[in-house]
Amino acid sequence: MGKKRRGPSLDEVLERPWCYYCERDFDDLKILTLHQKAKHFKCERCGRRLNTAGGLSVHMSQVHKEQLTEIENALPNRAGLDVEIFGMEGVPDDVLKSHQQRVMTQFQQAEAERQAATGNPPAGASASGQPAKKPKLENMSEMKKRLAEHRAKRAEGAAGGSSGDATPVGAGQNSPAPVTYGLPQPAGAAPAQQHPYPQPYGGAVAAPYQQTASPGYQTFSPVSGQQIPGAPAFPPTGYSPQPFPGAPPAPGYGATPPPFPQQQHTPTDPNTPRHGSLPIPAGLPQRPAFGAPSVNSQQMQQMHMGHQIPAAPGANAAYTNGESNNEKSQAGSGLNVDDLISGAAKDAAAASKTDPSTDKPSKKDKAKPTRMIYSHETVSPEERMAQLPRYAFDRAQFPDNTALGELPASTVTGAIRDENTVLDPAH
Amino acid sequence: MSSNQFTVASPPADAISALKFSPDPNSTRIVVSSWDKNVYLYDLRDENGVVGEGKLLQKFEHRAPVLDVCFGENENEVYTAGLDWDVRKIDLNTSEQTVLSSHEAGVRNVVYSREHNLVISGSWDSTLHIHRPDAIPVTVPLPSKPFSLSLTATKLVVAMASRSLHIYDLKALALLTAQADSASENGNKVEIEPWQRRESSLKFMTRCVACMPDDAGYASSSIEGRVAVEWFDPSPESQARKYAFKCHRQTGEDNVDVVYPVNALAFHPVHGTFASGGGDGVVALWDGISKRRIRQYQKYTSSVAAVAFSGNGKYLAIAVSPGFEDGKDEMPEGIVKIYVRELGETEAKGKGAK
Repeated sequence: MGKKRRGPSLDEVLERPWCYYCERDFDDLKILTLHQKAKHFKCERCGRRLNTAGGLSVHMSQVHKEQLTEIENALPNRAGLDVEIFGMEGVPDDVLKSHQQRVMTQFQQAEAERQAATGNPPAGASASGQPAKKPKLENMSEMKKRLAEHRAKRAEGAAGGSSGDATPVGAGQNSPAPVTYGLPQPAGAAPAQQHPYPQPYGGAVAAPYQQTASPGYQTFSPVSGQQIPGAPAFPPTGYSPQPFPGAPPAPGYGATPPPFPQQQHTPTDPNTPRHGSLPIPAGLPQRPAFGAPSVNSQQMQQMHMGHQIPAAPGANAAYTNGESNNEKSQAGSGLNVDDLISGAAKDAAAASKTDPSTDKPSKKDKAKPTRMIYSHETVSPEERMAQLPRYAFDRAQFPDNTALGELPASTVTGAIRDENTVLDPAH
Repeated sequence: MSSNQFTVASPPADAISALKFSPDPNSTRIVVSSWDKNVYLYDLRDENGVVGEGKLLQKFEHRAPVLDVCFGENENEVYTAGLDWDVRKIDLNTSEQTVLSSHEAGVRNVVYSREHNLVISGSWDSTLHIHRPDAIPVTVPLPSKPFSLSLTATKLVVAMASRSLHIYDLKALALLTAQADSASENGNKVEIEPWQRRESSLKFMTRCVACMPDDAGYASSSIEGRVAVEWFDPSPESQARKYAFKCHRQTGEDNVDVVYPVNALAFHPVHGTFASGGGDGVVALWDGISKRRIRQYQKYTSSVAAVAFSGNGKYLAIAVSPGFEDGKDEMPEGIVKIYVRELGETEAKGKGAK
């Protein structure tokens, strides 16, 4: 896939020919001269297109006996005949400079706006920005991976308690051990946990969750071994200190946390390695995506220190766990990137949303203050004028019979009124 | 290129209320009514038939300011309406003035329908008077004060206060008034149901209406810098075509939009485009079909009171005079002017769709 071409660079924009009379810019000089002939050097009388203002002036005076005074369609201060323009030739230096200045500021402004909207680096940097961009992308995917792992980790952490405190980091490597540990544990634990669980979550969902939860550990354990030993060993201690503000309240609390984050991961489950000896059938839909992330050892370490990553980016702040500060900061950075990504997207969306909404009002502005020269509901300007003393007309001074010619009597109806009395049945 | 514009010599001394071209295609005669109580007749051609300057042929004094004027059956007959409540007919050859009828308030508009030989006047007493030749005028009551009248070959559009608008069928109007005439009871007052009653599509007081020369619809303008274009045809498709647009506004300092009334509208008899004249002193030409502005002329020194195209569409006359909206009581000398633009062949022609 080729790289999508961005807008033209500043140089390209500056090089574009433009029309002295109307400041419009064109793709090339030929089009500019055509434009000038059609828009500015065209004779209004016969439609003949001249090459220059001088030519038009001579044409007008000789052919139509008229004096050309200003250039058609020109900006107010550019309509003069004093400068001889052809294409880009003849444009005064100061005008040229101010134009370039304007183009530059416009360009920079557009650039800044685009940057703000898309979060992309400026166009100048984009040429050399290819290498700069890549690491960033990698970073993001890495972050996402880490995020997924954190989530998994948290699920586990929630299930197994803050094993990180108890388990040495190195213990994570010996996967077989946890499996064997883990196997009996969930099998035994599941029935016991099922009862507390349904209370907060509802019975129907509870059982599968509960059951998948335990296999989940097992499948995960080869990767993140150390968690498991902790889990069966100290279920009560692990759970009790962890407040889950966002989670359902106390009853069955000890059991509930793991299913919750796992549930978040269910869509990615198919690749999850399964343990043959699982007590629960593999057909269950909820399956954490623990297998997916291939994590480097450092991340792994961090993950397995009992740190919990929030299931939903927005919710994470609410969780306070037994995790170490180190991990907290790690989680924080993960969160930040996550926020950045979604934030940037949101910003862009917001920008694209607000842009029209701010642009439109300027076009179709209801809020823009207006001052009406004349505003009256029912009295027209003429009526107001008619009330001025100098226009006063006293009908009474002119008896009807002064009317010239014969006037049918029936047409004069109603009493004579004061001059300028305006009759409006609406009142 | 402003050499194709000239001012008419000896303009009225006070504000202009109306300006009309003779409907004859080859005529260059203009009648102008003014608040100085006179009606002026100009011809743009001099003795040698050369257009330029324009000269005052005649001047007819009235008892009170004249608010409207129109040509009648031929070039030698005009009808006037004024603050003295009267509708008059003036024979230009003999200078004889005849009062056709008297309203009960100032008469704002008078129009003449050549097709039906009717003179219709609208007055602030909220009536129309319909005059047929040699017959007693018939009074048609209206729900509000009429502010502007406009005719096509078959329709009469009456724009009134309270944003109401009536469209009458001229044929029906002629028939009904003829019947009322023969009945001749209750003071010749006839309630006539309009062909269509409409509410203005503009939110503010209607200032002017003008009908399309092809009898398809009309444009109306309001005191709030807006023009609406609508069609007579009541079918939903035609009604869906109607639109309105803002114009005659200026952004002053502190970003406040100064909105001027659109005082005048006139359709070009050939191209079907129309001109609008506003309180800002600007005249603009619009293509009502493709919804585009064709051109806008340089600002005049004062409010544009009236615009009119000549019968053949070659000239555009623009009456410039301070209106009431300027808030000036005193009238400085030399502000009232009549400009006539000689239009290039395509100057008022629509550009066609984009």
